[in-house]
Amino acid sequence: MTSKYLSVFKISFQQEFAYRLNFVMWRVRNVMQFFLVFFLWDTVFSDPNRVVFGYDRNKILTYVFGILLLRALVLSARAVDVAGEISRGDLTNYLLKPINYFRYWFTRDVSSKALNLGFAIIEASVLFLLLRPPFFIQTNFPILFGFLLSVILAILLFFSILFLVNMIAFWAPSMGWSAQFLVIVIVVEFLSGAIFPIDILPNAIQGILSYLPFPYLLYFPLQIYLGKLTGAAIVKSILIAGAWSAVLLFSVNSVWKAGLKHYAAEGR
Amino acid sequence: MSNFKLEKIPKTFNRYLTIWWFMSKNSFLSYIMHRAGLLGLFAGKILRFAFFFAFIFFLLGGTDTLAGYTFNQTIFFFLTFNLVDTISQFLYREVYRFRPLIVTGNFDLVLVKPVNALFRSLMGGADVIDLITIPPLIAAIVYVGVALDPTVIQTTLFILLVINGLIIATAFHIAVISLGIITLEIDHTIMIYRDLVNMGRLPVDIYRQPLQGALTYLIPVGIMITLPAKALMGLVSPVGVISGIALSGIAFFASLKFWNLALRRYTSASS
Amino acid sequence: MADKNRDSEKAIIVEGLVKNFEVVEKKQGIIGAFSSLISPNKKIVKAIKGINFSIDRGELIGFIGPNGAGKTTTLKILSGLIYPTSGFTQVAGFNPWDRKPEFLKEISLVMGQKNQLWWDLPAIETFELNRVIYELSKSAYKKSLNELVSLLEVGKLLNTQVRRLSLGQRMRLELVAALLHRPKVLFFDEPTIGLDLVAQQRMREFIAEYNRRYKATIILTSHNMGDLVDLAKRVIVIDKGRLLFDGEFSELVDNFAKEKIIKVFFSKGIDIKSLETIGKVKKLDFPNVVLSVARTTAAVAAAELLQNFPVGDLTIEEEPIEEIIRKVFRSGKVIKGRKNTK
Repeated sequence: MTSKYLSVFKISFQQEFAYRLNFVMWRVRNVMQFFLVFFLWDTVFSDPNRVVFGYDRNKILTYVFGILLLRALVLSARAVDVAGEISRGDLTNYLLKPINYFRYWFTRDVSSKALNLGFAIIEASVLFLLLRPPFFIQTNFPILFGFLLSVILAILLFFSILFLVNMIAFWAPSMGWSAQFLVIVIVVEFLSGAIFPIDILPNAIQGILSYLPFPYLLYFPLQIYLGKLTGAAIVKSILIAGAWSAVLLFSVNSVWKAGLKHYAAEGR
Repeated sequence: MSNFKLEKIPKTFNRYLTIWWFMSKNSFLSYIMHRAGLLGLFAGKILRFAFFFAFIFFLLGGTDTLAGYTFNQTIFFFLTFNLVDTISQFLYREVYRFRPLIVTGNFDLVLVKPVNALFRSLMGGADVIDLITIPPLIAAIVYVGVALDPTVIQTTLFILLVINGLIIATAFHIAVISLGIITLEIDHTIMIYRDLVNMGRLPVDIYRQPLQGALTYLIPVGIMITLPAKALMGLVSPVGVISGIALSGIAFFASLKFWNLALRRYTSASS
Repeated sequence: MADKNRDSEKAIIVEGLVKNFEVVEKKQGIIGAFSSLISPNKKIVKAIKGINFSIDRGELIGFIGPNGAGKTTTLKILSGLIYPTSGFTQVAGFNPWDRKPEFLKEISLVMGQKNQLWWDLPAIETFELNRVIYELSKSAYKKSLNELVSLLEVGKLLNTQVRRLSLGQRMRLELVAALLHRPKVLFFDEPTIGLDLVAQQRMREFIAEYNRRYKATIILTSHNMGDLVDLAKRVIVIDKGRLLFDGEFSELVDNFAKEKIIKVFFSKGIDIKSLETIGKVKKLDFPNVVLSVARTTAAVAAAELLQNFPVGDLTIEEEPIEEIIRKVFRSGKVIKGRKNTK
């Protein structure tokens, strides 16, 4: 049973290597996006004693480096191809195989995360040596545990958001790509904290966002790591993230069932 | 090129304008077929603009200035970026569809048509979405620009340098499709170009050397975007303006040379 | 000037055409990928090794050769897509590589697996665009469109989104798009690939009709021998970049069909071994037997069979054309057809 998904993992890993030049280019893009964010904050906090939005130079640059790594772990996924498979009718190939579709894609996601994280660690080390930013190291064990928990929840959250978006293709095959652009490229990018930490926004907006799933992808895990949340707040953020994961995973399941019925009826 | 005649120019221009019109019309009609998708893309573009605008707004609300620029000035840089980026996307949308053309070999059927292949590959299908976004963008530029109180010369320089920036953007697009002919492996080149240009959302002054130098001269995002905006604020020297124009000229002709080279090396994907 | 007069009936002239491709050999692994970028291992592939032929106006020629023989490369050079390494080529009085608009308006290239129709739009929109590109007057366009539409029977399909059409329907509309400007020289690369038998037949009939009606010069490459038998009187056979044969189809058959096929149906059991003395047994599915015998002794062999065996039915046939072509390739020899002997 596990060996089945182990070989999916291996094949998926090799697949990325087959298109290695594309993969390298993809990492180059990540680094360039990192430059914009890094130097922006580097400029804003050029004075090491300046404190704005509750960040000092140390913490904001740690945040930016943390984003580089956490992005690779949370936002790397192969399931972006699901919409295409549905609209092309390739899904049928999988339905005929004795394999669980969600587990299949989750395995492929994990392999993508492993590869991307590996590269991100190397990039971060090189950039760290080049730019020599100050870095904040968290040593408090319970906080690190909370961080770990929040990252796992973030991975589940992103998986379910991505799957929900892709399943639009069941009903509107041509919309798959634009829905991903809207939700994954734009909304997730900005509201997860990938470009800026959410707490530079006014409190009212922060309040609203904290009840949405998006900030729990990157922002809250990093806040926990940076020690900007205290005990109760950590628990609260993990509870909200957990609740969202449960709701979204449940929705994925029921939308999937409804979608399959539609798919079968259309005979695509 | 060999039978170049001056009196032919107006006729050729009209013909290409007609072809452009027909292709843009077809491209628009294709879009209509994906109404829902169109709406998603449009909403995405607007949202991205709004999010980034809000970000700058709240950021400078806390910090007052960015690299010495006021809020109005920073927004003006951001708007200039959007103007150059949107116009070049509007005109050169077809570049994003170039790779499939090459991979399927359908580029062969472009080459056997009596219409300039570069024109067809660059401009064969304007992006209608941007036709909706460009007018309000220009209005915003005028609004913020007026608040910066430029002189007539500064305004003229701004317009001139935006056009200059568009020429650099053209050179980049030509280089991207030429590279697409030479190596089929890379399908990210245009996205890398976008990422580079995206670094011009904010004035290039924020970047540390040597990155700042590279962004100014090597990959001239600074000249495309930051320079025109600075010209409006009266922050450029005549030398800066002249070297900017010279650079775009060099880039443009180099890209044309590259295109001709690529075409010569074109060996047709299939067979 | 004398030259020009001689060439005026020639639609296509190819002399000493050579095309070498430079291929970069890939190395394994990530390090290999980078080292290929820095110091690529270049290899020269000789796709065409000096071929000569010429084609008169209004001729319809079949181009035969296995995969990688150089058929498509030749067509692409003739239509100006590929720059030849050396040699002389002239099509409709032009050097193809210049790709002058005047030249491009004279030719058309149809490839079975490539398309120019806008996928999401009805075909008529692509036709309108081609009208502008080829600078056709409205009346010439209308006339041409009406003729092609009725010839290909696609009137009902013009306003349907291309992606909703079957492959056969789409190919017919691709043809309309390719022929609207009435090209005088036409290159067909595998035009029947993927089509069902009925659609193939239709395509062949159309090509023949177009050739007759407009006196167009046509070169056709195909894997499908049926296409060539039906359409081309003259064939050019190339393999590994060399021209093996250029001449009438019948000449090719005479040269290579050294055997005939005798199919026999026996009414009673026989001694199979004794059959071997008459000819080679190619297939044995008693009571049906297929024998191959030398061409010259076919009649004698048939008579012998009828005399000495309990024959229920007997037919004498030519070798299948695929078999003949295969022999041409296997021999690899250059045969002098009428056209080669200059």
